Amino acid sequence: MSMDTIEADEVDVSDVLGSAIERREDPALITGEGTYTDDIQDPEMAHMAVLRSQYGHAEIESIDTSEAEAMDGVIAVYTAEDIEETGTPGDLPVGWLLPNLKTPSHPILAKDRVRYQGDGVAVVVAEERYVAQDALDRIDVEYDRLDAVVDPKAAVDESAPQVHEWEDSDVQSNQAFDWEIGDGDATDEAFENAAHTVSVDLENQRLIPNAMEPRATVAEYKPGTEELEVFMTSQNPHLHRQLMSAVLGVPEHKIRVVAPEVGGGFGSKIHHYPDEALTSWCSMQLKRPVKWQATRSETYLTDAHGRDHITHGELAMDEDGTITGMRVKTYAGMGAYLSTFAPAVPTYLYGTLLSGQYDIPAIHCNVIGAFTNGAPVDAYRGAGRPEAIYVVERLVTLGAREMGMDPAEFRRQNFVPSDGFPHETPVAVVYDSGDYEPALDKALEMVDYEALRERQAELREDGRYLGIGFSSYIEACGLAPSELAGQLGAQAGLWESGLVRVHPTGKVTAFSGTSGHGQGHETTYAQIVSDELGIPYDDIEIVEGDTDEIPQGMGTYGSRSAAVGGSALVTSSQKVVEKARKIAAHLLETGEEDIEFENGEFSVTGAPERSMTIQEVAQQAYLAHNMPEGVEPGLEETSFYDPDNFTFPFGTHVAVVEVDPESGEIEFEQYAAVDDVGNQINPKIVEGQVHGGIAQGIGQALYEQAVYDDNGTLVSGSMQDYAVPKAEHIPHMDTDDTVTPSPHNPLGVKGVGEAGTIAAPQAVVNAVTDALSPFGVDHIDMPITEEKVWRAVNESEEGS
Amino acid sequence: MEFNGTFKLEDTSAEEVWLALSDPVLIRDSLPGCEFLIEVDDEDVAFDELREESTEAEPTGDPEVIAERAFQEGKRYAALVEIGVGSVNPSFETTVTIDEREFPDMTASGEGSANGSSFEMESGMHLNETDDGVSVEWWANAEVFGRVAQMGQRVMNPVANRVVKKFFERIQERLSELTLDDQGGDGEQGTERAGADEADDTSGLSQRIRDRIGL
Repeated sequence: MSMDTIEADEVDVSDVLGSAIERREDPALITGEGTYTDDIQDPEMAHMAVLRSQYGHAEIESIDTSEAEAMDGVIAVYTAEDIEETGTPGDLPVGWLLPNLKTPSHPILAKDRVRYQGDGVAVVVAEERYVAQDALDRIDVEYDRLDAVVDPKAAVDESAPQVHEWEDSDVQSNQAFDWEIGDGDATDEAFENAAHTVSVDLENQRLIPNAMEPRATVAEYKPGTEELEVFMTSQNPHLHRQLMSAVLGVPEHKIRVVAPEVGGGFGSKIHHYPDEALTSWCSMQLKRPVKWQATRSETYLTDAHGRDHITHGELAMDEDGTITGMRVKTYAGMGAYLSTFAPAVPTYLYGTLLSGQYDIPAIHCNVIGAFTNGAPVDAYRGAGRPEAIYVVERLVTLGAREMGMDPAEFRRQNFVPSDGFPHETPVAVVYDSGDYEPALDKALEMVDYEALRERQAELREDGRYLGIGFSSYIEACGLAPSELAGQLGAQAGLWESGLVRVHPTGKVTAFSGTSGHGQGHETTYAQIVSDELGIPYDDIEIVEGDTDEIPQGMGTYGSRSAAVGGSALVTSSQKVVEKARKIAAHLLETGEEDIEFENGEFSVTGAPERSMTIQEVAQQAYLAHNMPEGVEPGLEETSFYDPDNFTFPFGTHVAVVEVDPESGEIEFEQYAAVDDVGNQINPKIVEGQVHGGIAQGIGQALYEQAVYDDNGTLVSGSMQDYAVPKAEHIPHMDTDDTVTPSPHNPLGVKGVGEAGTIAAPQAVVNAVTDALSPFGVDHIDMPITEEKVWRAVNESEEGS
Repeated sequence: MEFNGTFKLEDTSAEEVWLALSDPVLIRDSLPGCEFLIEVDDEDVAFDELREESTEAEPTGDPEVIAERAFQEGKRYAALVEIGVGSVNPSFETTVTIDEREFPDMTASGEGSANGSSFEMESGMHLNETDDGVSVEWWANAEVFGRVAQMGQRVMNPVANRVVKKFFERIQERLSELTLDDQGGDGEQGTERAGADEADDTSGLSQRIRDRIGL
């Protein structure tokens, strides 16, 4: 059942927080009024195109650009040599370091060797976009093809082709890092003493993000002022500015990065790619604005991919089915280079979530990161957490099967109890708050679980196979306390800034360092500020995505915007109120402590007729004719909010499918989702995020996979070959919620951007394997295609 | 990617098919999209220059002429072949080396590149005489790179099948013409002497082919 939206003017300011207000960003976007990067035009604009390696791995023997340069309309053709000659650093930094991490050089154009299909080799700048594309075909590159390796486990084998040469090391290996978390000895002991154990070998397949708008950059260098202006598809403009400053050797304060409308990202627009630096560099050389717009094929080849894990997981239980230990070994593909935050994803965003919703005394996780001849892998919606919860929820499902217990009851028995929060796990994190049973119970009710099991039994007698799959997931949002992030290797703080500016007329512009690209921040942030200031929602404007306007920022990813960015706006709003209170007290001729503030009105305690609205105070603050001693004119405040902890949303999803063992077809009967994301600022937007997240999770479970052949050629490099689910593939979803506020941020919010994507895959896989349990099928790797179902049924012992 | 198949050619002999498949000119004319196919010595092949000098050789049914220009083991050949794959029509600059050539088996390896795409290939064929003609067992093992490869085997397989089918259909056509030529000529001057003498029968031609190209 879908929720109705409410028009903003129907909502009283006291109810604004938590109302399903219609998204204010949609009219401009759906009428084509919104300006995306590629909409930016300039009469002087030149167009850049990138020649990309056709090989997964090859030496570059020579590059002849003369024919391309001679073409009409071609302005310049550049290679790595040209960039070197200008003295530009030209090397992309890694934003998260691990102990003993191997960090290969990642030049913005490949020099002697290409390491994945799509690695940039040369760029053409031309008067027209299509001329630039055509000129790419006239560049003659002689390659000497090398053997490639694409499988992360095979990559760390001694005999594997080497992706990088390590001049400073005797050990030549594709191993990027060897990372562990948890207590290995305690875990081994748990397994030695276990009454029951189960294990699973699984792959969390490589995925391609598929944002609706392909990446793009417009760069304009202004020689007169030495300023570089970059409009780009960014989820974090300040971070891009900072990194680009290092890559291009341009001082940070001389760079302005703007994210105009951005059509989705799912993580893929966090990272600093070569392309935005190349566009900027070309503009600096030519002293003209330069535009680069990726084609869809380029996004398939070069957007940072997601996942790519090969994992062996084990679960230990006592004789009652109580979990006593978990052991996980994972090979994580990093691709050919380390993308911006890549090292954090399969380590701190993965290993720390392996306790799931369960009270597990001992956990040990070892992750080997491997360089392969594939596109770099980095954060993709969920980023490490879907991989972790997939392992946990597959093991727990198998554990229940091993114990002969109902999977829901097995989960309930092992949940962290309601009174067990804050809960410290054996993998270094402390869950802020949680209450797992009500969400499970609600989900069971939604699918009418008991009746469903009865129906399953009846249908089996008719040779029909119904499956019920559970996913009791946990998620870590609101990255992250900066001090902790620093200890774990982050090369940045993870606070957020918020500026709240009350104008003299009492209208408000609020600025956030997050950078929405479809999430609806202009709506939800305005709700937050309206609630705090008691100023009507329609009087509040939200600005994001411009380094010249916003103090500082870390951007939007990891479901951090509400919890961290929203909290910064709360803090700034509260500072505004405190300053206004001082002014009001002065004007109302009473002490600050005697001023009450409610719904935008300051009044004297016990004398409510003596009052001023916040709008009136704002006017006085700018007139400044009668200010209290020591109070500056104006009414605006900035804060940098650093979270105390991650937030830990959770929930239970249930997928019900019918599987035809003969054809392998899977049909959804039902999909129920109960999510607890803490307090909800706008339930309609929460619902939308859950819907989209589940759709993406079902995409991974049943359809999507980035496939490289043995040579490192991406053979699923287009929408014809990479199956993003269509509307017809997605079942109706019943969504509901429980609300357990986060105790440590002022909004009590937890975050919802990735929950569905984290929850859905194993709900579906568990449902399919439940359906096929009569055939003895324990596990099928994603994406579960019809062929894989058919094979699993036919290859299993009981199947025939 | 692996491709293989068997193609049946009717009313012909293994020798005739061998002759036909030994003739670069006939292959050039039969292979869809093939602009030229000529022997080369240089390590680096200048395709643009070859294109200009490539139109000289004429098709013939004369075993003598074919023998002169037939493929030879160990020699390299250059070809320019346009293949339509999906929405792109890359022109592949291709070099082929005849690795092995002993009746009735031939293997060759080659590589080709076009804008943003390339391939490496090993291929071979084996001729079998059948009741009503010859069956050609062929196989190819190709590594495909770049733009074309990205389309995956789903797109590549139909393309390969189409090219191979068309190729053998044309070979079949040429074989009929070849037989006709021979019936009309004495073999000394090829097509110019057509109709002058009484024809050898097919087995006579086979013998002549065997003699001439050293089978």
